[in-house]
Amino acid sequence: MTSIRSSRLRGLAAGALLSVAALTATTASHANDLLVAPTRVVLDGNRGTEVILNNIGTEEADYRISLELRRMLPDGSLAEVETPNAAEQAALDMIRYAPRRVTLPPNQPQAIRIGARVPPELADGEYRVHMLFRAVPRPTPVTAETDDSAEGFSIRLIPIYGVTIPIIVRNGDLQVTAAISNPRIVRQDGRESLSFTLSRNGDRSTYGEIVVTKPGVDIPVVRARGIAAYAEIGERTVTLPVSEEYQGSLAGPVRIQYRAPESEGGGLIAELSATLQ
Amino acid sequence: MNKMIKLAAVAAATASVALGAGTANAATASATATAEILQQVAVTKTADLSFGSLVPSTSASASVTVAANAAGTRNCGGLTCSGTPASAAFTVTGASGLAVTVSGLSGLTALTGPGANMPISLSGSTLDMSSGSDTLYVGGNLTVGANQAAGSYTGNFTVQVDYQ
Repeated sequence: MTSIRSSRLRGLAAGALLSVAALTATTASHANDLLVAPTRVVLDGNRGTEVILNNIGTEEADYRISLELRRMLPDGSLAEVETPNAAEQAALDMIRYAPRRVTLPPNQPQAIRIGARVPPELADGEYRVHMLFRAVPRPTPVTAETDDSAEGFSIRLIPIYGVTIPIIVRNGDLQVTAAISNPRIVRQDGRESLSFTLSRNGDRSTYGEIVVTKPGVDIPVVRARGIAAYAEIGERTVTLPVSEEYQGSLAGPVRIQYRAPESEGGGLIAELSATLQ
Repeated sequence: MNKMIKLAAVAAATASVALGAGTANAATASATATAEILQQVAVTKTADLSFGSLVPSTSASASVTVAANAAGTRNCGGLTCSGTPASAAFTVTGASGLAVTVSGLSGLTALTGPGANMPISLSGSTLDMSSGSDTLYVGGNLTVGANQAAGSYTGNFTVQVDYQ
């Protein structure tokens, strides 16, 4: 693996010398890679928990852990928030965590402690932040590849990549119901996919697994875990690709089930039987 | 093999955390060892976004596009291109196949350097995590001005894998 990569780098260096205007490829070293577990945290009152961050790259890396706000859009994506509303600000204020910066050698895990300090006067509801884990790129030494040449120019695109996971605090006795409607067959990225509306009613989010089955077929034709409808929206669209072996065979009667995760009892949240055209 | 080691590392870290909590209650005669298997995500970069080699036009600004797919298909527009383009690639592995979305790519709008800023927009492929792992490809559209000044142009872009 290493020898292949280094020979490829030598090839790149040779190519850069020959070309007039070389747009440099950055080195493909595995710095800044990361592993995070778990991928979702629900805090129970003031009891804290921990999230594991591990450096799975091949070089030492500096990681930064920060709190972000996201709002779910009707298509299910999570948009960044520029001006927090009162509930979002309250969520930011109550989450405590440490450390916020950590330098890790390869394969060194670090536990990030997370807790919530819930103010006694806090209104009932669900409060949520998204914890961002990412590595901060270190300045790279100037090499022959990045030298300016009189005749050309070079381009360096530096990715800063990471993971966000929701941190959820529930205050009070919260209720939610959900329903599935308007199922239809769509094409997404050239694949047959199932799209439907997931509506939500109540003062908290829903979270669980979508399983779509056809009568007489043992294996679900569509299956996706980790589907949420957050409290800030009343309904969202869910679009999921049909598994490879059942591409083109979605039409006909189907049963769509939305189930809570096993860790929360696995109960049925919503269900719809329909015939797809 | 590599993935097994990662899983083991997380499991070991979690186990030690749980054991640490248990030993605080040192007065009891029996001890319970617990190991919780956490749902994990790993993000590794496997390729950088490269437009290949470009020669600016002498008459008009022009755009080059690299598609957000495995091939990194390049459309040179009005530019003279050579070299090998590539889309950026990130392998996202979630042991439990939880659905994810991607954010942050719209943050980068221009590359800065010795000449005029070069407008850029990035796009990403859709991640299908149902099999437990997928590759996120990032492509872009870069506008190079007529007689764009020579030198080194840089831009930082963010890619965030968002769990719901």
